[in-house]
Amino acid sequence: MEKFIDHCCEKCFNSEEERCDQFVECCLSGPLCHENEECAAMRQAIIEKLAHSPGYLKH
Amino acid sequence: MYEKHVLICAGTGCISSGAIEVQDALEAELKKHNMQNKVRIIMSGCHGFCEKGPLFIVFPEDIFYCEITAEDVPELVEEHLIKGNIVDRLLYLDPTTGQRVTSHEDILFYSKQNRLVLRNCGVIDPENIDEYILRGGYLGLKRALTMDPFDVVGEVKKSGLRGRGGAGFSTGMKWEFAFNSQNNKKYVVCNADEGDPGAFMDRSVLEGDPHAVLEGILIAGQAIGSDEAYVYVRAEYPLAIRRLRTAIEQAEEYGMIGENILNSGFNFKVNIKEGAGAFVCGEETALLASIEGERGMPRPRPPFPAVKGLWGKPTCINNVETLANVPLILRRGADWFSSVGTEGSKGTKIFALTGKVNNTGLCEVAMGITIREIVFDIGGGIREGKKYKAVQIGGPSGGCMPESHLDLPVDFDSLTAAGAMMGSGGMVVMDEETCMVDLARYFLAFTQNESCGKCTPCREGTKRMLETLERITQGKGQEGDIELLEKIATTVKDSSLCGLGQTAPNPVLTTVRYFKDEYEAHIFDRRCPAGQCKELLTYYIDEELCTGCRACKKVCPADAIEGEKKEPHVIIQEKCIACGACLERCKFDAVKTK
Repeated sequence: MEKFIDHCCEKCFNSEEERCDQFVECCLSGPLCHENEECAAMRQAIIEKLAHSPGYLKH
Repeated sequence: MYEKHVLICAGTGCISSGAIEVQDALEAELKKHNMQNKVRIIMSGCHGFCEKGPLFIVFPEDIFYCEITAEDVPELVEEHLIKGNIVDRLLYLDPTTGQRVTSHEDILFYSKQNRLVLRNCGVIDPENIDEYILRGGYLGLKRALTMDPFDVVGEVKKSGLRGRGGAGFSTGMKWEFAFNSQNNKKYVVCNADEGDPGAFMDRSVLEGDPHAVLEGILIAGQAIGSDEAYVYVRAEYPLAIRRLRTAIEQAEEYGMIGENILNSGFNFKVNIKEGAGAFVCGEETALLASIEGERGMPRPRPPFPAVKGLWGKPTCINNVETLANVPLILRRGADWFSSVGTEGSKGTKIFALTGKVNNTGLCEVAMGITIREIVFDIGGGIREGKKYKAVQIGGPSGGCMPESHLDLPVDFDSLTAAGAMMGSGGMVVMDEETCMVDLARYFLAFTQNESCGKCTPCREGTKRMLETLERITQGKGQEGDIELLEKIATTVKDSSLCGLGQTAPNPVLTTVRYFKDEYEAHIFDRRCPAGQCKELLTYYIDEELCTGCRACKKVCPADAIEGEKKEPHVIIQEKCIACGACLERCKFDAVKTK
């Protein structure tokens, strides 16, 4: 999972054919449709890669 | 995971100062030290402090380096990124304290600002939608999609947001008119035709945070019942257009633009229309004509675009900065937004600070801040210690505020009452050496040239005013000229078809109002107090300083200078054409004016 749009696992269904209404929240604190530590860690890795300072996420 | 993040400002200003060369040098240096995987380079949008660009900020410690060149990069890598030592000589030098400052938050230029619209500019990579989402992006859209469209309109109306493009009309009311217009097709138009000389607010927002503008457009579309938008952006903004295109592609990939957005059933499409750069196309009806492929000319209103706009359909037109405020209002609420600013002017305003001020650049301030705070705190005062004379607020159609108005609050109503206008946010500072009559002539020459010619008051009135001002600055002014200017200006203001004509006389009216003595000096004394109007200057040579080098005599096109070699020269006033060539050539500062 390099970008938020990438699927974390086969349980993520967000696609052009079927849009997920929780997609934005899922990027920030997902996954929301299933529980999986590895899937959560993938999102966290993207966040840690991009957030360059302590204030970055306090918007 | 990266150990360091280096943010290089890649707004148009910093790019022209060498930001890309700095980026290339940094990439090469990181490769040389095999540090590509340890340090991330972020090419951000405009950070605002254009005067000190290119900017180079190291995170997570937030060390602010300025005026960086490619030659500085090896030292920054070696000392800071490898050894962890701050490179003192490249830090910002506070002109007041004489101390080096490490964090940008401790620099007065930034600390007096309230960066809401610019919250992501100079912070994120504008070409990465993930960064926008991480900073709360598209949460406003998400909230809007769960609300009744009428309530979204109500939220924007309640926030008190007023248009940032010039007139300051209530954005919520505009949306309400479009919402109430019944039609199976409606449009949202984003006005990015930023035509004021010296203004670059909208360009910077588009370059630095294009998704914020897109999100605002999407929320407007959902609110009024539209499924399609046009962004009308001038072709002179290639970087803004490129980043906007990238943002649209990414938003489409992420399902923020397209069919069934976030599974809400809301469909939306965004188009870009490149404008040819006519000033009048910033006027909304002229802009619509231009999108339709017609000549960019305004038409009488009503009907207003909210009722009959693009291709005859109800159209909601807002400018870039207005739309960039909207996601915050939906995300954080109308009450939060309206807590910033004054009673009649909510939120913040971005200004492009230019002219004779130490810190030129882009600043965002809460409505109600005084002109003094902007010019002397954020702007760092007047260059070379000279005296403040005036600030032109609101672009070429704005007004000039004198020293007596330095404590005027900057908000829509106070500025209008003083004869100026918020306009789109251009702020040109002038010092004691600026001739206010010549300044009025300069701005009027711009608006006269940009007048589309459709209505007589603007077409003829601006021409007549310009001719009168040219006469005055050439020393041919007559008694009654001031009254004539006021009469024409008032007529043009009251009877022109569109905003361009209605506001074009503002520089004339405010300079007559606040600097009448300068007009009188030009007309009755044939004198330019600021020493700028060439035809009104008398050139002479100071015998004490003249060495008789003959340089001035050689360059004089009118053969008006006499004198023997190594003897003081004199200027024959009857022959002098006041071109100033002798003054420019003299190495001994012996040529003077009075």
